[in-house]
Order: sequence, then C-alpha cells, then structure tokens
Amino acid sequence: MGIGFAQQGHPLTGTWNGDFGPSPTQRSQLTIVMTWDGKETKGTINPGPDSAAAAIFLDVINWTVRIEADMKDQSGKPAHVVAEGKLDDIGNYHRTISGTWKQGATTGSFKLTRD
Amino acid sequence: MSLAKKYLKLEILTVSAVIALSAVTAIAQRAPSGNYESDKKVKLSGIVTRIDWVNPSAFFTVNVKDGTGMISNWAIEIGNPLDLQRDGWKPTALHIGDTVNVEGIPARGPRRQAMATSVVLAKTGAKVFVASNKPRAKVASQPVPRWPDGHPRLGPAPGKKGYWGTPSSTVLVETTNATIPMNRDGLLANIADSDKVAPFQPWAKALYEYRQRTLFKDDPYNRCMPPGGARHFQNPYGFQFIEQPEIGRILLLLGGGDRNWRIIYTDGRPVGHKDELVLTYYGTSVGKWEGDTLVVDTVGFNEKFWFSNGGLPHTEALHLTERFTRSDFGTLRYQVTVDDTQTYTRPWTGGWTIQWVPDEEIQEYFCEENAESTFVR
Repeated sequence: MGIGFAQQGHPLTGTWNGDFGPSPTQRSQLTIVMTWDGKETKGTINPGPDSAAAAIFLDVINWTVRIEADMKDQSGKPAHVVAEGKLDDIGNYHRTISGTWKQGATTGSFKLTRD
Repeated sequence: MSLAKKYLKLEILTVSAVIALSAVTAIAQRAPSGNYESDKKVKLSGIVTRIDWVNPSAFFTVNVKDGTGMISNWAIEIGNPLDLQRDGWKPTALHIGDTVNVEGIPARGPRRQAMATSVVLAKTGAKVFVASNKPRAKVASQPVPRWPDGHPRLGPAPGKKGYWGTPSSTVLVETTNATIPMNRDGLLANIADSDKVAPFQPWAKALYEYRQRTLFKDDPYNRCMPPGGARHFQNPYGFQFIEQPEIGRILLLLGGGDRNWRIIYTDGRPVGHKDELVLTYYGTSVGKWEGDTLVVDTVGFNEKFWFSNGGLPHTEALHLTERFTRSDFGTLRYQVTVDDTQTYTRPWTGGWTIQWVPDEEIQEYFCEENAESTFVR
C-alpha cells in the first residue's frame, strides 16, 4: 500500500498486525484494532469469536505504548497480558510498535506493524 | 573558450548570522522549509545540461567544476512554473549549453541541489531569474458586486473574470495568538511556542511537535495529496467561487490541487453525520448566508492529509465552520473554527484575508508526485 493512503490522525488508530512469542521460532499471529475516542484508546485483540478487549496507554513523551488484556493461553487458561513497546517511525503509514510481551508467566517479544 | 574555463569555482557560504524570519518566507511558497537549509547559501557556476519546466517545481541542472577539478552535476530548483511566469521568467530565457552563475540555498543532506535565488548568464551578465515574492497590487476600491437578492457575489460580476489569491497568512493559529513567530510553512521559530498555536490534546501536541522537528518530511501535500480542510485557502494558487443559486449550491474551484473542487450545498439540506458519509479530503459542506457572510459547515473529513500548513493534526471528528465575508470588492475575510474534540481540548478559531485577483482565471496546476525524485541526487 502506498504512502498516498497514509493515516495522519491519532498515531495508534487503525489495524495492527504482527506476532508475539517467547522465542524467534515460537510465534503466534497477533492482530490488534485500536481506536481513539478522544479520551482513551481501546483495542480489540484478534477480532472474531476469540477476541479480547485491550486497554491501550500511549506515553506521548517517549512514544511508548502499553497494552493490557485478559486473554487465554494455549491450554485455554486465563492469562493476563502486559505488553510494552516503542512506537517507531510515527509519520509512516506502516509505523511499528515493538517490545516485550508478558502473558501469564511467559515472557517474550512482540512486533506490530500498522496495516 | 575551453570547456574547463567555463567552469568556475564552487563556493558554499555558511551564513553565521541568523537569517530574519522574513527572509525565510521569501522562498517559502516555492519549496517546503524542510528541503533546504535556509541559513546557508551556495554560489555555483556551470553549464546548463537540462531544463525541466514541470509542476510542482521547475528546475535545471548544471555541471559544476569544483576547486579540485572534479565535475559534479547540480539540480537547481527555480519554483513553480505559474510563479515563474508571474515573475517574468520564461522557459526560453535559458538554454542547454549556457554558462550561468547561480546563487541559492542548498538542500539539506548530501544532495547536490539548491533552490535558486538568482540566475545570471555568465556571458552577458543578464539576470534571467531573481526570486521574488512581490505582493500583488491592491485592487481599486469599488462596490462589492451583489446578486439580485442582495447577497454579495463571491465570484466575479457578470462578464468579468477574477479569483481569490494571495492570502495574507499561510498559517493557521488561534486568533488570540496570531503573532507567533513562524515562517510561511508554519515552521515555528521556537518549538516552545507550540502551546500557543492551538489548544492541543497531549497526543496532538506531541505529534505536531514531531512534525515540526522533522521539518514536515511526512507532509502528504509534498507527495501531491490534496490540501484539504482550510489548507487550500493558504496556497498561492487561489480559488474561485462558482455560485449557482438556482440549484442551491456553490462550487469552489481550487487552484492549488490537481483541478480539485468543493461543493457547498446552499439548498437547506443538513450537513449530515460523518458516520453516514464517505470520508474525503474536502469533506461534505453546507452553507447559508448570515447577513453578508457565507457560513459553511463541513464534516466528513478523512485523516489522510494535514488540514493546514504547519502540521496541525486532526481526526475524522473534525468539523470546520468557515465564514466568508467579502468585506470590500478586493478583500475576502476567511475565518475558520476548528472543532475536533478528539484532537483539541475546545473549539478554536483563526483566519486571514485573501485578495481579489481581477481579470484573471486560476491556472491549471498539476502536482507530479515523482517530479522531485528526478532531481534528487
């Protein structure tokens, strides 16, 4: 998709795709749809029957993002997710967020690119 | 004369003194501030190897020999062809093979590129180009033309030509802070003044400052995207009202985009809600007359553009209320109230005046997205 379709509004608004996991070879696909309503950013993780609502916090001083959600792990057990990442290349349509992903007792990394 | 003798020494002068803001504005309509180092000057002498008379900016290239004997090819940007014609430049004034002395402002980074402020033929000393930003002459005072129902005509009187151009300001700031030092592109002299520009929400202020610090490198307008919102009233290429009261609408023909237009419905329909509209660069507009002022409400903007020079952010919640008042024959007062609760903490208002250009039509202007890359080194 070309630069001509760049979104210039709130930098988190839109659909973000990527993955997370504890190692480079153990990754799970991740989609988060983020919306800004003027007061807070809300997220929907993996839209569909297994979606989870996420609270999104943007630190505009450092352009860091914190994502919190209650999801399920691979065995189906509830697992609280806390992800913290850096928002990079803010002016680019395909801007990215990357950082650490903690799900229950498992720690790993994540990377999202705005779709 | 040998080819070598035609090449003269390349000299780059760094100006230690801070250039006054007014000096920076002199070239602002020709190129974005971010492309050139306005506090430096470059002097070049060389042979013209190429001339491209293209939108959005014409340029030519010269082969320049430096002090060590190395020859390098420089691209010299000379501005928009419409501006050049207005300043008296003709494409036939320069020919491939001419030796020219160029003064200009160098591009940022390693590019061998400059924005010309002066071009002189070395052989004759004739000035073929001098950058200027001459203000248009004031239009002679005369009554505001009116429709039979008494409303002012925003376009020309029957049988006449004319359009609105040359805005008094090319930046949008809250009216109460109208004297914030910035250049014509909206680049603040002091980034700490960002709080005075508009009542930003924190994320919007941070994004605005990011755009300022990165010298507008991501500005969609520089990639030929339309100047939506209030921005099309800031560019130097003007606009024209085509009033059609019999069918309840006003067409706005825009000189600064790729033959872009707006429709303002004056038939009493509601403006609608953004969730029911296809979101566009110019939104959906309805207008009504309040005395001699046309009041236009617009919603339904997409988020793919900057609605003003300077990098002011907005969201799809943007609602603009524009007030057009032909205060005298030659002057249009433009006032815009920005209401975007997702970006700003409260509605705010700014504005400027725009001058009538009599007996002329807006000229065709096409932005070529890839034109710049042809002279990037």
